[in-house]
Amino acid sequence: MTIYGWAGKILRVNFTTGSITTEDTMKYKDYIGGIGIGYKVIYDEVPLDTHPYDEASKIVLAMGPLTGTGVPCSGRLSMTFLSSWTKGFSVVDAHMGGHISHALKYAGYDGIIFEGKSETPVYLKIDDDKVSIEDASHLWGKGTFEANRILVEENGSDFDAATIGPAGENLVNMSCMITSVGNAGGAGVGAIFGSKKVKGFVVRGTGSLKVADPKGLKEVSDYMLRELVGGNNNHNVPAVPQSWAEYSAPSGKNRWSGAPGRGWHKAEGGFVDMGEQPVGDIDKIGYRAHKGHFDHGPIADKYMVKVGGCSSCPIRCYAQYDIDPLAEYDLPTKVSNTCMPIIYQSAWYPEGLTDFVDEGDANLVICGAGARAVDDYGLWDNYGNIQRDFNYLYRSGILKEKLPEEEWNSIPWHWMKEGDPRFVVDIVRRISLKEGEISKLGLGTYLLVEEWDLGKEYFDIEYLQNVTYNGYPKHHSSEDAWQSGLLYNIMYNRDCMVHHITNFVQSGSPYELYKKILEEEFGEGAVDKPKHYTPMNRAKARLAKWAFIGKQWHDMATLCNWMYPMTLSPSKERGYKGDLELDAKYMTAVTGENWTREDVDLVSERVTNMLRVITAISFHIHEGSTNLREDHDTITAWVFDKEPDFEPFEAGTVKMDREDMEVAKTMFYEEMGWDVKTGIPTRETLERLGLGYMADDLEARGLLPA
Amino acid sequence: MSEVKKENKIDKLLNQEMTRRKFMKISGKSLAGLTVSASLLSLFGCTQEQVDSGAVSLWTTPTGLLVVNQAKCTGCQRCEINCTVVNDGMVSSHTSRVKITRNLMSNNGHGTYQDDWVYYPDTCRQCDVPACGEACPKEAIYADDKGVKHVDEAKCVGCGACVEACPWHMPTIHPETRKSTKCILCGACAEGCVTGALSIVPWDAVTAAAQPTRKN
Repeated sequence: MTIYGWAGKILRVNFTTGSITTEDTMKYKDYIGGIGIGYKVIYDEVPLDTHPYDEASKIVLAMGPLTGTGVPCSGRLSMTFLSSWTKGFSVVDAHMGGHISHALKYAGYDGIIFEGKSETPVYLKIDDDKVSIEDASHLWGKGTFEANRILVEENGSDFDAATIGPAGENLVNMSCMITSVGNAGGAGVGAIFGSKKVKGFVVRGTGSLKVADPKGLKEVSDYMLRELVGGNNNHNVPAVPQSWAEYSAPSGKNRWSGAPGRGWHKAEGGFVDMGEQPVGDIDKIGYRAHKGHFDHGPIADKYMVKVGGCSSCPIRCYAQYDIDPLAEYDLPTKVSNTCMPIIYQSAWYPEGLTDFVDEGDANLVICGAGARAVDDYGLWDNYGNIQRDFNYLYRSGILKEKLPEEEWNSIPWHWMKEGDPRFVVDIVRRISLKEGEISKLGLGTYLLVEEWDLGKEYFDIEYLQNVTYNGYPKHHSSEDAWQSGLLYNIMYNRDCMVHHITNFVQSGSPYELYKKILEEEFGEGAVDKPKHYTPMNRAKARLAKWAFIGKQWHDMATLCNWMYPMTLSPSKERGYKGDLELDAKYMTAVTGENWTREDVDLVSERVTNMLRVITAISFHIHEGSTNLREDHDTITAWVFDKEPDFEPFEAGTVKMDREDMEVAKTMFYEEMGWDVKTGIPTRETLERLGLGYMADDLEARGLLPA
Repeated sequence: MSEVKKENKIDKLLNQEMTRRKFMKISGKSLAGLTVSASLLSLFGCTQEQVDSGAVSLWTTPTGLLVVNQAKCTGCQRCEINCTVVNDGMVSSHTSRVKITRNLMSNNGHGTYQDDWVYYPDTCRQCDVPACGEACPKEAIYADDKGVKHVDEAKCVGCGACVEACPWHMPTIHPETRKSTKCILCGACAEGCVTGALSIVPWDAVTAAAQPTRKN
């Protein structure tokens, strides 16, 4: 029988025995792909008391049925594994864009299970159905840029590569895997690969992916591109006025930043003007995202060469720079990134920065140096926690107390004070190579607090942004999305990376407009006014559930959650309303099965509950906990105590109310079908989702709600 | 050739009635140093500076002038996706008739993994005397009444002679169908290019833009 959408096989490679086998993807079909396969394999095969760096630990890299089919914004993959750095050491995912997921699908694989441990450094070579474990001793110790380049040169220019850097090799918890476009999978996956002595993998895929209804797929894709897609983060109105557009962002700023007169001065042949990008003009969509301008303002244009991004995606969210002031410091000048590395490196300079060539260029130049360094060393920043930990501990004097005097004196603090870009590179190197006490920053916040005895109250410091006591920060939480945002921020074992709500809140569309569209869907009261919140209600719980389970859908399908769902549209004719049925339409065209939005929701809920059950079991094993509500979903104090001059629900504040958030949790657990006392899924819920075996497991462990 | 002479040559060319035959003379050659009229630049979606830098290539085809502007290519691979979903009913980089993936990572010292972002889609040149067709032992590659070359799948035996004969190795033998995939100028790649790095400008538009005086 022909399989559509899925490539059909999962590759399993054991680095202890050298065994390379394949198995039928369809046995995981109930879990779709990506993290769905990841959770299932980890749950079935890795005892949850396994140390993440032990031989028995595994990494499940997987794509879903939409990746590789050309569905826009589907160039994604997920990696699922046990966390080395968060409370409960439970399951986490890393998500990586770029081009390599397409190559893997065309090579014939929906995923790779990395298991066992090699004794010597190796990499995995996938050349269609020829798969081999190759020596990587010449790559061990090298940065990701050089390692990836060598791998592609050695294997052929039609291969793609992804590697870990020295941070992963040295088992630094805060480590990632990187392609050379700056696409990174984080959450500590680098060190899991490092523990297996696996530098990375290369892929060439010369096969084809079959789709059931190619004509239908092309039609739905074209419909999305003409009518639904907006800019970066699917912001659906341009940042500044364009002649065709009814609206633009009142602040003049959003992630649809491309505009006439803005562009790339370092492009081949000179300035490329990004121009206007009217709705319906497919050949201009690629100029909507101008992340450089969004991040750094007009100075970014001076150093930009191009924009880039992932396979299949019309929204080119990577800013690609040639930042020549860095050459004076003998640092690389080419930088390609879209996320934290290119916006958050000034936090390494607690005493401030000085401009280089032009007014206002300091942050860009420093971020360029830092982005290149963290990507090269394969250091993951835990959504800025590593920088914030450093910054706070420096300012508070704690860092000086914790570091031996000799080590303190060896750090080039004068570079920090002068705003020299070599400072960030120096610190990143120390952490990545585990040089000295300062490298404890690479443990991650949760273990750092333990190691340096910083006390639980450390998590309550507003600057540090920790959303729970588990070791990770907020990621578009209550500041954008009231109670709903805070609820899904505390559900994961890492920063949540849910963009459903922030995407419409920050879109620049009028509040009344998006409120009406969303409340038609979720009920009155679902959508609060920015900085003027109301107490919790049922509609907000439904909204939170939609976003929470929807995020899992994207990492199963695998689609980009920065772009999906298509909640809003830039089209005036559509009344700016997007299409929440779109993902089901794609599934129907690709697989040939009749998918509805309800079907998508059901599988999303299934996989979401797997995350919750695995988390409950891990917390029981590692924390002795029988109650996720109390031991996992605990919100840090600053969320309620910030802005002391305000009361919650006053206009002008995003601070939350403790009692109200308890009401919120209860309502949310009810929507999820979880026990309100423990926050653990009930048997009824698990059986409804086809997860009766997980209910049995919870029961055997004494964790199943009565 | 001196700058002045070059300019004279192209000016002369562009001041004549432009036909496909005339464009053939500059097709595939570097336009660097040639002055292109404002109306043509606008039509090609490029600047004189991009022409001078060698970022822009033009190819004459039976249906229009194919413009490839590598300064604008951002590597999304949608050209390959649209090519294969439209022509093969399945999706692939390898069998695509337009090829970006092979240039994307590492390409003669350029590309993503060579620390620059110089890459571009290779396209079929629709040669007047096609090496692919000349090499085909089964005479499976034929021109339709517009001059677009097609593969007669009934005749194609998948021997790969066309792949080898093409100086740019543009045809590919589809691993599953064992038939040559060769560009038939369907235009799906250019229509779906999200940055306009790839475009096909119809001949009547080229001709009109190239003879402003006569038109007026």
